[in-house]
Amino acid sequence: MAEGRRPGLQREGLRFFGAVGAGLSHELSNVFNIINELSGLQQDIAAAAQAGGAGIARLSELAARIKSQVARGEEINRSLHRLSHSVDEAEEVFDLGDALALFGALAARPARLAEVELALRPPADPIALSGDPFALLLALHACFKGVLGAAESGRRVEVRTESVAGRVRVVLASADPVPGLGSDPALASMLDLACAALGAVARSEPDGRGGGSVILELGAGSGPGTGDP
Amino acid sequence: MPADRVLLVDDEVSFLEALAERLRMRGLEVVCAKSGREALAEVENQVFDAVVLDLAMPGLDGIETLRRLRQLQPELQVMILSGRATVQTAVEATRLGATDIFEKPTEVDTLVQRIRSARAARLAREAETTQQHIDEIMRSKGW
Repeated sequence: MAEGRRPGLQREGLRFFGAVGAGLSHELSNVFNIINELSGLQQDIAAAAQAGGAGIARLSELAARIKSQVARGEEINRSLHRLSHSVDEAEEVFDLGDALALFGALAARPARLAEVELALRPPADPIALSGDPFALLLALHACFKGVLGAAESGRRVEVRTESVAGRVRVVLASADPVPGLGSDPALASMLDLACAALGAVARSEPDGRGGGSVILELGAGSGPGTGDP
Repeated sequence: MPADRVLLVDDEVSFLEALAERLRMRGLEVVCAKSGREALAEVENQVFDAVVLDLAMPGLDGIETLRRLRQLQPELQVMILSGRATVQTAVEATRLGATDIFEKPTEVDTLVQRIRSARAARLAREAETTQQHIDEIMRSKGW
């Protein structure tokens, strides 16, 4: 993608960044709050142990729980880091599986809050794409928000990749009907800009069983396409 | 004297378990709920001196849970303990009857103090209601 296409994405990109950054920041706060309580509990147990209670085994168990929260915090921070660097280059070669993994990490919180299971099916082999990785994240975010908004609590949304006639597409499939992509003007605007930057095309279609999908066709257009794996 | 009874509501299980244990170590009786729906079910079946409620939760969020809890028990003492209470949500929670808004992390001893005050307030209100009933009966009998 040419650098000149970036300005059109900036406003939508900032909205996406704001929403996702706030979510990740909240998740990190959760981690810090848990560590804070676990550390307070350690102090309480240590005080009780000094007073004659048996607390050594509990202290060791709490240390393991703190360690697991630190690992969780690091994972969240890694996603934040990768998201931040996704705007570094307006055009680069990147792996679709990596981009989907990052999208999955970013989408986990909104899915959890909507009580929807997000099932990510990454491609079995690396798929090299040439283009703007941030525009792909933006497009996936807009597609997912549309699908999530229509999904009922307790349902599952599956995200998978398919290769059709040499082109790669990402399918976001839901057991619930998916509304038309123009039904939410703000999301439609975000998706239009992202697709234009990617040279991609998005559409929604029913699955014939009461559910529906949003399909993001990559490499369909004059912009970037699939590169060599 | 029975222990102060508190219902702790938060979807972060590790946080819930750690805070519950710290409150128990301070002599409180704690029941945990991992969602707004679980909290409503607990309040339908048990009496609590206070509810400590998170705001950002899957399904029923804290504000909607607060609204429904107060519909079930208008006198229930509900405190908000949240990591991101905006001015708007704090105003809304107060309007719906939340007695305190705490931002995480908060000092556990401050929380315990407020829960104990909530129990005293509940018992005082119950005594007042009982006295009103007695007064009404006496008036109706002409005593």
